[in-house]
Amino acid sequence: MKRYWRCHVCNDIHYGIKPPEICPTCNFKNAYVEISSAEAKKIQSGETEMDKEKFRQAIGKFAEKNEFQVNPNQEKVNMLIDGIFSCEENHWMKYCPCRLITKDFDEDLKLVCPCNFLIHETYKDKEDGECWCGLFVRRKNE
Amino acid sequence: MSKLIMFHGRECPHCQVMMPLVDRLEKEEGIKIDRKEVWHNEKNADLMRSYRDIIEPKCGGQLRTPSFMNTETNDILCGELEYDKLKEWATR
Repeated sequence: MKRYWRCHVCNDIHYGIKPPEICPTCNFKNAYVEISSAEAKKIQSGETEMDKEKFRQAIGKFAEKNEFQVNPNQEKVNMLIDGIFSCEENHWMKYCPCRLITKDFDEDLKLVCPCNFLIHETYKDKEDGECWCGLFVRRKNE
Repeated sequence: MSKLIMFHGRECPHCQVMMPLVDRLEKEEGIKIDRKEVWHNEKNADLMRSYRDIIEPKCGGQLRTPSFMNTETNDILCGELEYDKLKEWATR
């Protein structure tokens, strides 16, 4: 079961089965201590903004060093980003606009964009693979 | 309600691709396919979720859009499809 961990040096928060050995923010070794979700929420209460343009940049950066890229079809990407933000407005999370949430929160976390599409049949072992909605497509060999 | 339902999302590109094919199918075959938008209409979303056990096994374990369902036979198709495959589903 995943739990919250706090770096006692820089207050970096990690959510996972076990903490990182080295804090990725301050590089301190064996720095994490387990905390409650309430504590984690308080520490993370600083608001950060993510508008559509920032999200577009974030997914571009995310794809940069991967075998996939953001779909070059801008029209499609625009529609999908509209859908993702509409999901967030109505359902609190940036869910995939091409799959419906089940209302089981843990299950629905699998639908938050970007999802783990590398294991999906629309992507895995496919030369022209793409995530289910088509926001990410496999990078062509150049 | 028609026995044939298309569950779709307003911002789903696959759904947009399929819409003209559904229009054509209705026109050519004289049938009605109920289009139910699920991301902006909670009633439609609940209806799709009520068919979760039938839809998910045939759609990669998820409630994908578009999903085409025959509520009498429980025949399911999902995703972007060739016109002939959609027609076969609708007229079976």
